[in-house]
Amino acid sequence: MDPRIDDPGTLPRDGREHRLHPLSWLFVLVAQLKQFIVPLVVLLFAGRGDRNDLWGLLAMGALVVASLAQYLTYRYQLGRDAITIRSGWLHRSRREIPFARIHNVSLQQSLLHRLAGVAEVRLESAGGIKPEAQMRVLRMDQALALEALVRRRGQAAGSEVAADAAPAAPLLTLSTPELVRLGLISNRGMLVVAAAFGVLAQAGDDVFRVVVERWGKLAFGWLTRTIGAHAHDSPLAIGLATATLLVAALVAVRLLSVALAILQYHGFALREDDGRLLVERGLLARSRSSARRRRIQAWSLREGVLHRWFDRRSLRVDTASGQRGREAGVHALKDIAPIATPARCDALLAHFLPGMGWDTLDWQPLHRGAWWRIALPGLVVVLLATGLLALRFGAWGALGLLAVPLQLWRARRIADACGWACNGRLVAWRSGWLSKAWNLAEIGKLQAVRLSQSPLDRRLGMASLLLDTAGATPFGPPLHLRHLPREAAEALSARLVTQLAGRRLQW
Amino acid sequence: MTDPASIDQPGATPPPTADWHAPPARAVRLHAGFLAAIFALCAIGAVAGPLAAADGLGGGLRIGLGGLALVLGGGFGAWLGRRLRHQRWKLDAEGLWLRQGRLWWRETRVPASRVQHVDLKHGPLERRFRLATLVVHTAAVHLSGITVRGLDEADAEALRDALARQLDDAGDAL
Repeated sequence: MDPRIDDPGTLPRDGREHRLHPLSWLFVLVAQLKQFIVPLVVLLFAGRGDRNDLWGLLAMGALVVASLAQYLTYRYQLGRDAITIRSGWLHRSRREIPFARIHNVSLQQSLLHRLAGVAEVRLESAGGIKPEAQMRVLRMDQALALEALVRRRGQAAGSEVAADAAPAAPLLTLSTPELVRLGLISNRGMLVVAAAFGVLAQAGDDVFRVVVERWGKLAFGWLTRTIGAHAHDSPLAIGLATATLLVAALVAVRLLSVALAILQYHGFALREDDGRLLVERGLLARSRSSARRRRIQAWSLREGVLHRWFDRRSLRVDTASGQRGREAGVHALKDIAPIATPARCDALLAHFLPGMGWDTLDWQPLHRGAWWRIALPGLVVVLLATGLLALRFGAWGALGLLAVPLQLWRARRIADACGWACNGRLVAWRSGWLSKAWNLAEIGKLQAVRLSQSPLDRRLGMASLLLDTAGATPFGPPLHLRHLPREAAEALSARLVTQLAGRRLQW
Repeated sequence: MTDPASIDQPGATPPPTADWHAPPARAVRLHAGFLAAIFALCAIGAVAGPLAAADGLGGGLRIGLGGLALVLGGGFGAWLGRRLRHQRWKLDAEGLWLRQGRLWWRETRVPASRVQHVDLKHGPLERRFRLATLVVHTAAVHLSGITVRGLDEADAEALRDALARQLDDAGDAL
């Protein structure tokens, strides 16, 4: 994927309608097969008669016809400021998408796409679940040209900058050692293993016991020979087998994570071009997504324990497009720095938020009693558990109270680590003690503000402030400033709303 | 939850100014009655099966237990619904303010320039009592639909028109 091939000449711009790539139907078919794989497999393998094979073939045939029909009816036309897409045969639709409204352009290439030299293009606007248009598939050079066209025409003010200038050097690339670190830190393999465990648990009753016993026999054959014929049943052998199996599994999961990280992030490059951020990545399946800088709604910087060991952080952004989509995580621009040194992350933030004063923020502490409030839920659990232990084991159960100072100390550390800052352009919230996070947004990107107090908060004189932005993940609000002194929270809320009311929304 | 005078206890929420609008008493009654009916039905539905199946219960005891579930469910619903009386809203030049709850107090503010669109809803019961519900939509994720319940019909229309006018003044947001 050479970004230099963005000569618009490769796009048919004669004002007439055009079809997609002639091989489109094949990729539509592949996508449909992925959806219908389960019923198809059932049809093909469930029965043993010829009739069932026939039904399977018929279903396949129907899918092929549907794919061909989709290819034959899908037309696009490039206008001056909009792309018009006509599709459907019985149910026809015609959709006009102004370039200025397109928030995100993403190009996806699986291995099959790469062999055929084509790419799948998605055009996304703000909100919504499905992309505005999903062009499956365009020739690679045409896809890149379309992306460049959207980039150039999307400039609302129509400022014709020197768009054909050579692409800037990447702002961030990841070398292989970085990818290895990313894999070790992110532990992506765990997801795969969890899925595999689920399948295994479904497969049979005693899979785990059988695995442990087999491993025991295999790895401790020498033990069997030295101790006796039935050593594989002895608790020692089984214990050793379980322990080594666990260690082997942990190592395997980490190795798998590294492999996945390399697969997903090989050749990662973050570029900025004409005010657009562009991220390319992938070893076998390449993906390329871009979004305009000002369309980024919020930023978050993360540093877990493993990150800290390797002296790294990761930087993510929220864009407003496809926020609720099932595939949003896959296609939207999200990880602009999957892994980078803290200094590099700060430099990137300073680069993308120039003059916002990210590095000179004046961090304010939480309410003085916040640590007590943070400790409380944990304390209740500890006391309940101690009570239960005391009922069961008598006086020894009181040892559970040892967790109380631990919990208080932990809450104290968390309260010390949290803080908020607002300098009139940016509002930021940092949280976490072992695993830290910094969330920030430009004030102009805030949409609504909620101040809340629980009865306990009121007694202690504190309040929490939720600053909501578009495109935040529905799981866990990023800018939830908790346990602030009440006056500070009220003042911040009033200040932000006053500032917002006078400024129109800049998507 | 007891007498209305305890709403404005010192140290709690600041007292609403003249601009703050409380829901009319009939709205609170309607909301409480509606939720009470729903919860009472749910409670009866939940205990009906076990009560019918249980052996060794006299008819009177069954009716008594059923009645208890009805009263408890209805009481809980009425208490939930009556919390509407703590709601206050106000519209000023900066946008909409909405305060809800007393124990779990929250104040939501939507700047006028961030309102995407406004929905005015009238249910059949609400129409009967000349009430309306206004939903203010924003582009935010968690605070995407801010619901002001139990508005007087005339108030609701005035509020909708005022928000729409501010929206026009703010210009094309996209």
